[in-house]
Order: sequence, then structure tokens, then C-alpha cells
Amino acid sequence: MNPFGYSEPVWRLFTEPPRAGALEGARVLKGVASTPANRNRLELWVRLNGEVIEDARFQAFGCPATIAVGGWLCERAIGSTLADLATIRGREIRQALEIPEDRLHCALLGEDAIKSLAPT
Amino acid sequence: MIYLDHNATTPLDARVLEVMLPFLNGPYANPSSQHRPGRAARDAVEAARAQVAALVGADPGEVTFTSGGTEANNFAIKGIAAAAKRGRLLYSGVEHPCVLEPMRALAAQGWKVETIAVDGEGRVDAAAYARQLTGGDVRLVSCMVANNETGVIQDVAALATQARKAGAPGTTVFHADAVQAAGKIPLSFPDSGAHLMSLSSHKIYGPKGAGALIADRGVALEPLLHGGGQEKNLRGGTENVAAIVGFGVAAELALAELDLRRERAQRLRDRLQARLAGLPGLTLFGARAPRVPNTLQFAVAGVHSATLLGLLDKQGFAVSSGSACASGTDEPSHVLLAMGVPAELALCAIRVSLGKDNTEDDVDRFAAALRELLAGLGAAMPGMMRTAT
Amino acid sequence: MIYLDHAATTPLDPAVFEAMLPFLKPGGVHGNPASDHLEGKRARDAVEQARGQVARLIGAEPGEIVWTSGATESDNLAIKGAFDFYKERGRHIVTSMTEHKAVLDTCRHLETQGAKVTYLKPGTDGRVSPEQVLAALTPETVLVSLMWVNNETGVIQDIAALAPALRAKSVLFHVDAAQAAGKVAIDLRAVPVDLMSLSAHKIYGPKGMGALFVRKRPRARLAPQLHGGGHEQGMRSGTLPTHQIVGMGTAFQVAGERLAVDHERLGTLRDRLLERLRALPQIFVNGEAAPRVAGVLNVSFAGVEGESLRASLPELAGSSGSACSSGTGESSYVLRALGRDDDLANASLRFSLGRTTAAEEIDTAAAQVVNQVRRLRALSPLWRETA
Repeated sequence: MNPFGYSEPVWRLFTEPPRAGALEGARVLKGVASTPANRNRLELWVRLNGEVIEDARFQAFGCPATIAVGGWLCERAIGSTLADLATIRGREIRQALEIPEDRLHCALLGEDAIKSLAPT
Repeated sequence: MIYLDHNATTPLDARVLEVMLPFLNGPYANPSSQHRPGRAARDAVEAARAQVAALVGADPGEVTFTSGGTEANNFAIKGIAAAAKRGRLLYSGVEHPCVLEPMRALAAQGWKVETIAVDGEGRVDAAAYARQLTGGDVRLVSCMVANNETGVIQDVAALATQARKAGAPGTTVFHADAVQAAGKIPLSFPDSGAHLMSLSSHKIYGPKGAGALIADRGVALEPLLHGGGQEKNLRGGTENVAAIVGFGVAAELALAELDLRRERAQRLRDRLQARLAGLPGLTLFGARAPRVPNTLQFAVAGVHSATLLGLLDKQGFAVSSGSACASGTDEPSHVLLAMGVPAELALCAIRVSLGKDNTEDDVDRFAAALRELLAGLGAAMPGMMRTAT
Repeated sequence: MIYLDHAATTPLDPAVFEAMLPFLKPGGVHGNPASDHLEGKRARDAVEQARGQVARLIGAEPGEIVWTSGATESDNLAIKGAFDFYKERGRHIVTSMTEHKAVLDTCRHLETQGAKVTYLKPGTDGRVSPEQVLAALTPETVLVSLMWVNNETGVIQDIAALAPALRAKSVLFHVDAAQAAGKVAIDLRAVPVDLMSLSAHKIYGPKGMGALFVRKRPRARLAPQLHGGGHEQGMRSGTLPTHQIVGMGTAFQVAGERLAVDHERLGTLRDRLLERLRALPQIFVNGEAAPRVAGVLNVSFAGVEGESLRASLPELAGSSGSACSSGTGESSYVLRALGRDDDLANASLRFSLGRTTAAEEIDTAAAQVVNQVRRLRALSPLWRETA
């Protein structure tokens, strides 16, 4: 079912993306990252309960790896603190999703989305 | 029919056909397509690339598929010329027309193109060659491994070493047309010293319509066919998947059965040579030089090839005067002329090229038929029997 | 797997396969068509019969057909051959931005050899008007090269309208008909094209086989590009692959017999496919305003990204743009030349239907596409913003 050579985690998160959608409300932060050249875009929402992220959602326009990064970040975010989330780097995302080196920019999109998290 | 013209083309091996069939009447796709059938076609092409590479001990990445030996030779020669500074191009006087003609085309564009002399056996004259190399600015030397008409083998490794030493490092490229040598004698691209080597599928029991140029990746080569970006941008055009797959299997079989085929051909050729010995007016060409074991070219003085070939054909023997490409013309072979054979005798040339499925009986019947025909011609037309065609 | 990629390549027609077998199987005809003996003559006869079959489909004489290894080689031979031969007369070539890579890459190569090339931009319908071509001519123009049918959009150029005007000006006219032969009626007795590229594997013949039509009267001249034994009237050397030639001949014969039937059937299927895709808003048919061949439908989907769209459809063998460039990750230059922005050009699918395509396959394919586009749009912030 994965004839295009995507990594297993990318394929799983692309075909059945967890936590697609958006969040609203007072305790919601939103981050947006995009690559101007090919217009990939990742939007990330997290809702805080005190220090802890209790919910996360994403939307993405881009290649399967970009979409997978969104789903992975949401799952990773829930239950952790913002400070913890802020330590995530593109390389870690790339390794976790087995994204090839030439697609590192997709993983960096995740890092940038976290960095841009701000109250809506 | 007894087919003794394997240097012109070989019948497709049934085992090759079997592997090709699914690519003809089975799943189909363009190897450049990104979907699954496209990938399957691409995988098949890559497997064949490894098989062809193995035949000559090359790296698969050094193999570019072409439509055949002619394209491979054109690609090699024009591809080097297009990427190099103007200079001299050398080629042996016994090369195939698909080396000679590209050279002539380049000469018309202002390249300095020179023939390398051969001796009476068709082997490159080493002293003359060495002198030519010292002249400098040699961009390319093209010399075949084995000749299609005589079967004579050149000492390519020595010639290539000389070429590599001649100029500044990397400035002189050596191209070896191995179309007639592949599958007949052991071939090693790395050991040959050549930068470029041409191969053809249909000379080794593979399908017509496929060939390859093996190229050292350090050599600057311009594509001959532009468009589409296939073959790492070296050769545009949708890959001929079935033929390439067939070429791959044919190469694998040629390697696996090389010793068997060589010994068999050698035995049959020796037998034929013995059967022909003593024919009045018989000349063997290149017989004192190392030859590929399947080829025997000879002439019977005074008996024009066209006459004899026609009569042999009527009796069911498919043989040739030399190069199939030059058939239909009534000119003496440039190969034989380069060897110093008089034109009159060259016009009488007959080439027998044996194949892996020929038998002792085939050879015996051919020799007997030939003797009988010659006896008949001799009785009918005493003296010189040159016939106009 | 649903195969809707017949513009990339087609399966062998069963009749083609049957015709090829005697030239492949043990005990069959294996001679070199250039050989003088009987075995060679049997191969040569088959080659000449096929030449007649190919000529007949396009209204040519057998002697005007030169065998090549495929349409890419035909395009190379036509353009480089004509340029080399006529370059003393002039060095200007006119073509369009939506030609196949075999034409564009060849023209770009010739630019390094002193050619001046004008790349015409088609209208948004994908057509280059005859007036546009004529306006681009200069006294230096020696060759115009245009495709009869575009491989990505299926748009048909008005070759018949342009050809007489070019003939009147003594400018050589090359037409890449790889996607046209067997799909639109071609009669070169009535249309004064000088050179025409043909492909076998686009019309149920074998890969590795093509031809170039080279007009005899008035004679189009070419400098050969493959030198050697002097085959094909000296225009193209190399041992002729008998089985492939026989396959191409049979494929062209069958195509002639089926032209009307295929056109009717594929047109109906294509309309059915489009009707089902219309369940989605914001889809755009590329080349919609122009006449197109029946079997090709190229659609851009707003709000989704191209690679994800294709990856979402693993059971659908279609194509985004031309197969030759689909590995590059670039959006289609053809669609961009028609005025599509990068996103829409990228988020396009080419459905090319063939003789074996069934109505159920069309329905299944359409349902998959509709579902997956909806899914990706639901994920897409760009779609949310446009909605």
C-alpha cells in the first residue's frame, strides 16, 4: 500500500493523520510555519491546561512528510509542557519519522511551527 | 536452413524470450512513471543493467542503454567530441562502418581524423600507432576488440595503455567497440584500459533493438539523444524495457556459458578450416592472428562472393561476405583492403560465423557443399570466374 | 491497480504480440534484415510490409518512413538533422513552450550550436495559433516544430491550417505526432507537413520503436544523426529490430481500423470521468476550451498539494504531467505555460484512458480521487482560506 517509498511512520501518519483540525479558545496557542519556495505550510494549535498541553491539532498543505510532521507533533505535544516542546529540533523530527536528508525542510517546518506558537 | 551468419545477428535464445515475454504481453508501464507498475519496469531495467555490467566486469552505474551497437558507437565518438576541445581522433583502419562514419562526419566538422594502419593480419601496427600518439592533441582513440569480418582480436589493453600514457592525464580517451567480442572471448572493462566500451544485444542471442555504452564516469560525455532525462540524462527516450530485460539475460547467459561456447566454436571452426584446407585458390584472412573462435573468413581466388553466396543460399546456407550492413554494395571490404588484400581477392570474401547451436554436421555439410559448388563452377567456367552482379 | 496512464505507454495489442512472436520464438525469423541471404530477406520482407502499414495510417508513401528507436530519436533526427542540413540557409527555429522534452531539450542543445529558437507561448486553451507562428517567422527561419497532440493535456493543434502557410513560405514543418497517430485522423497527402515523428508504444505497439516521416515530394533533406552501415536510405544506421518493426506495423494497422471506435468509446468514458469528478468544487480541466483527443483528461485540483494527491492514490496509475519528468518534483511546464499557477500546475492529474479501460474502473478511480481530494482539502489550511 506504500508504493512510493515513504518511511513507515510517514506513511502511517499521512494516510491516517491523527489530530487533524483546529482549536479555539482562551488557552489556545497557534503556530504557523511555511516554506516560501514550494509553499508548504504547517499550522499547529495547542491548548494548555496550566503548564501542560492537553490538546493539539494541525493542518498542513504539503507533501506527505509535511502532513506526517503535523500529526507527529500533535501526538508528541499532548501531555508535555511548552518548554519541553520547545526543545524539539528538526533533526529529531526527521529521525523519528525517518525522513530522508533531502526532505529535512519538512521536519524543520515542525520546529518552526513550535517556535512560532503564540496566543490566538 | 543452416545459419552460419552469427556475426550479422544471432537468433534469440529461447531462455531469453521466456524472460522477455511478461514484459511484452504482461504488465506494462513506462519506467519513468512514478506509480507502482512504473517502478516495477524500472526495477527490471536496473536488474538488466547489473547483468550487462557483469558481462564485462563493469559497475552497473557505468552502463547506459542504447538502441544498439550503432547508437553506442555514435554516442561514444560524438559524445566525446562534443565535450572535448578540437583535436585529433584516431581509429583503426578495420573499424565497423558505425565507427568510420561518425569519424567522417566529425572530419566534415573540422576535426582532424586519422586512420591507424593495420598489418597483413588486420592487427594495429604498434609502431605506427605509437608515432601517431606522440603527435599530441589526441582526444579519442577508437579500436574494436574483435573484427566483425575476420574475427581478428586487437590487443586493446596494450593500445589503451599507450593512449593513456601519451597525453596529459585524462586528455586521451580510449573507446573499444566490443560488439563482436562480447560473448565470444572473456572481456573485462576495467582491465581493458578503455574508457568506453560498446556492446550489442543481438550479437549475443539477445533481442535486436538494445545495446549499451559502458563509460568510465570520469569521462566527459555529451548525450546523443536529447529529451526526457532518462539514463541519468545521458540518453533520452522511453526505455525499451522488454529488449533491455532480454539483453540482460542474454548477457548473463553469455557469461555463464562463455567457456562452453568458446570451446565449441573453436572445435567447429578448426574442423571447418581443416575441411577447407587444400581448396585451390583458398586464402584465409587473419588466420595467423588471434581470432574470436567462431569466425572464419576466406576467399577462393576468382570466385566472386556474390556468386558463391547466391548459390550457397539456394542450398540453404546462410553465410555472408562480411559486414551485413555493407551488403548490397559491390565494393571490396575496407577491412580486407586495409590489410593489404588485393581488391580482386577481397571481392571473393566469404565469412562463416558460427553460433552456439551449430553442429559438426552443419560444418561438414557446408564444407561439402562448398567443395561441390566450386568444383561445378570450375568445370563450367575454367580459368578466372569473376562474375559481375 | 487501475491503469489510466495510456499516454505514458500502452500495453501491446494482442494482435501486435501475435505478429511479433514469429520473429522472436525458436525456429522463427531471426535474420538481419540487411543480410543478403534468404533468412535476411524474410526479415526484410516483414520490415517492408510494416513500413507500408505505418505509411498507410498517415497517408504517406512507404519510402517516406524511416525507422528509429522511438519518438525521442525521431524528434532528435528531425530537428538536428534539418538544422544541420539547412543551417547555411538560416539558423532560426520556431517551436512552442509546451512541446515534449525531446523537442525542447533538442532545441536547447542546438542553441549551444548556434541556433536561434523562438518558444511560442500558447493561449490558455493550450493552442498556438497559425497567426502566432507566422508572425514569429523571420527570413532566417528554417524549421517550425509543433506537436499535433499535447501529451499532458491532449490538446490538438491546428496543424492542417498551419502547414500550407509554412509550405508557401518554404519553411520546413516538423510535427511530433507521437500522441496523435491512431487518435486523430492524419492524411499527409492533404496536409503538407515535411517531417513527422511517430511512436509505437503510445498506440499499443512495442517500446523502443518509432519512425520519422520524411517527405519525398518536395523532398525534405536531413543530415543523418546515427552514422554507420547506411541503413534507411542513409538517414539512420543501425540493425533494424525486425520484431519491433513488425509490432509497430501491426499496431498502426489496428489503430487505423479502430480509430473511430476508440474515439467514440474513449470520449464517452472521459466524459463520464469528468462528470463524476465534478462532485468536487474548484477543479479545472486543462485545455478545456480546445479540441482534445478523446482519451486524455487533465485536471487541476485547488487546495491540495500535488505529491500528497498522488501519494493518496496508490491504486491509481495516472500521472502528473509527462512521465518523463514526473520524477523531478517540478510542476508541469506545460500547465504553467497555459497560465496555471505553480500550485494548480502541481496539483494536477492526467488521466489517459485506453482500449482496455472499463467503465467500472472509471467509476472507482473517480470515487477514489473525489474522496482523497476531500480528505486532503480537509487538512489543508489553504483550502480553508479559499473556502
